[in-house]
Amino acid sequence: MATELELHQGLYEAVVEMDEDKAAELAQTVVDSKYDAYTAIENGLSRGMDKVGDLYEEEEYFIPELLLCSDAMYAGIDILKPHIVREESQSRHTIVLGVVEGDTHDIGKNLVKIMLESAGFDVIDLGRDVQPSLFLKAAEENHAEIIGLSTLMTTAMPAMKEVVDLLDKENKHDKFRVIIGGGPISQAFANKINADAYASNAAEAARIAKELVSGNSTVQHRLSAQDA
Amino acid sequence: MNDISPKERLFRVLEKKSVDRPPVICPGGMMNSATVDVMDESQLFFPDVHKSALAMEKLSSTVQQRTGFENFGIPYCMTVEAEVLGSSIDFGTRECEPKINNERYAASHDIIEEDPKTLIKKGRIEAIAKAGYEISVKNPDIPVIGSLTGPISTAASVVDPLRFLKELRKDKENAHRALTYVTDFLIEYARVLIDSGFSVITIADPTATGEILGPAMFNNYAIPYINKLADAIHAMNTPVIVHICGRLESVKKYLGTIRGDAISTDAMVNLADIRNSCNGITVMGNMSTFALQLQTPSVIQRVTEKLLRDKINIISPACGLSTTTPIMNIQAMTETVKNSI
Repeated sequence: MATELELHQGLYEAVVEMDEDKAAELAQTVVDSKYDAYTAIENGLSRGMDKVGDLYEEEEYFIPELLLCSDAMYAGIDILKPHIVREESQSRHTIVLGVVEGDTHDIGKNLVKIMLESAGFDVIDLGRDVQPSLFLKAAEENHAEIIGLSTLMTTAMPAMKEVVDLLDKENKHDKFRVIIGGGPISQAFANKINADAYASNAAEAARIAKELVSGNSTVQHRLSAQDA
Repeated sequence: MNDISPKERLFRVLEKKSVDRPPVICPGGMMNSATVDVMDESQLFFPDVHKSALAMEKLSSTVQQRTGFENFGIPYCMTVEAEVLGSSIDFGTRECEPKINNERYAASHDIIEEDPKTLIKKGRIEAIAKAGYEISVKNPDIPVIGSLTGPISTAASVVDPLRFLKELRKDKENAHRALTYVTDFLIEYARVLIDSGFSVITIADPTATGEILGPAMFNNYAIPYINKLADAIHAMNTPVIVHICGRLESVKKYLGTIRGDAISTDAMVNLADIRNSCNGITVMGNMSTFALQLQTPSVIQRVTEKLLRDKINIISPACGLSTTTPIMNIQAMTETVKNSI
């Protein structure tokens, strides 16, 4: 029978190799063997998705591969999740995510969601064509720390500024950091509308989100500099 | 060559013959140039115009006169094909082009194939054909360009796009079936346009990029179906321009196998470099649409002059124009090209 470490490695490989059936089968073995479900997600599935993120940034994998890897990851997570023994003190970070008003292109947003979930975030997905006020409302209701905004269309870019302006107006910008991204978006645009960070792809969005909530990062330094 | 007409100039470039200066065009479709400024002037507005032959004829004529582009471009969006194939469309607003609301099918194997000859009688095709016919009769010297949504983008507008992208790897048989189906339809749609007087066809396939698909799938899926469509259009004695979105580094080695008469690209691509590495291919582009929207006429003039110095064969915007692009900037671009003789 496979050891716990071998199972973790198998889950990692199932994700990287886009093998949904293998991920589900090994996840079931973890459960049957009464190994810890959370560690299996973290050291197996999630580590696999980290590798996939690297392969994507290195242009070894592209979007079809990224989607199939995430299917394998979710197949494992679906089986393992009900068996997680979670300590209540274990803090989870929440991010509210959506495509801003005026735009319905959501492939990019869905990729960001996948990478955020694999990085351990609770993602509140507001979908597409989302009004500015709904981002703030959802962030407050779900005790989120970050709001993620996406668009593919230049015509929807002003809606990103509306969300940031709304946070500033209500003095909530310290509470909710804003990450923006999408085809026409740039760091310069993020600076211009006073968003907290820009991510150029899904893997980077997850990395920046982690940095934002860890409080010990270049992003945070930049933010402090900006605040001061 | 002083009296060369815009149509002749474009045709000569597409046939690799010499010309006095490059044509400056904007094909429509994904590269719509009906901006809010032009709509205000013509008092014809999105979304009402999309379904009316008369409104499209008038709006496209105003676009051509006011922007200075040396062509007419119809339609103004990328949803004509998806609508005909059964997806639900959100027709958008004054400032926003139509977009897909819901794709008709969850997966490629669900597709119920309909006869392309029946499909071309549906949706907005007849109105688009009629608008193009009227314009071509009244303006025999200016090319009317018909814009098609490419095979991969059309398939991903009819089948859930994320599912479709996965099928390219996981269910190749049905992915090919879907692509064959939409390509056969696109060929018949192109035939309607050409029979109605459209003189050039542009294929824009923004889902089929190297960045999304990677080089292997770009070569295995995007190129064969674009070529099938291009070959069919050539068989109708009509030239084809192919627009490829995004960065091209990963797929550069395959670009030379695309059988279009010109390749149009996004703004970050070095077109002179592409031409050199692809055996002297005719290149079109690639004025940044961000610059067009946000910069001043004098900056646009300088960027256009750079494109002229680089001897870009056809000058055009690099991507879809924002509908809020100022008309002054577009005029700066077209005037700079026209004054370059």
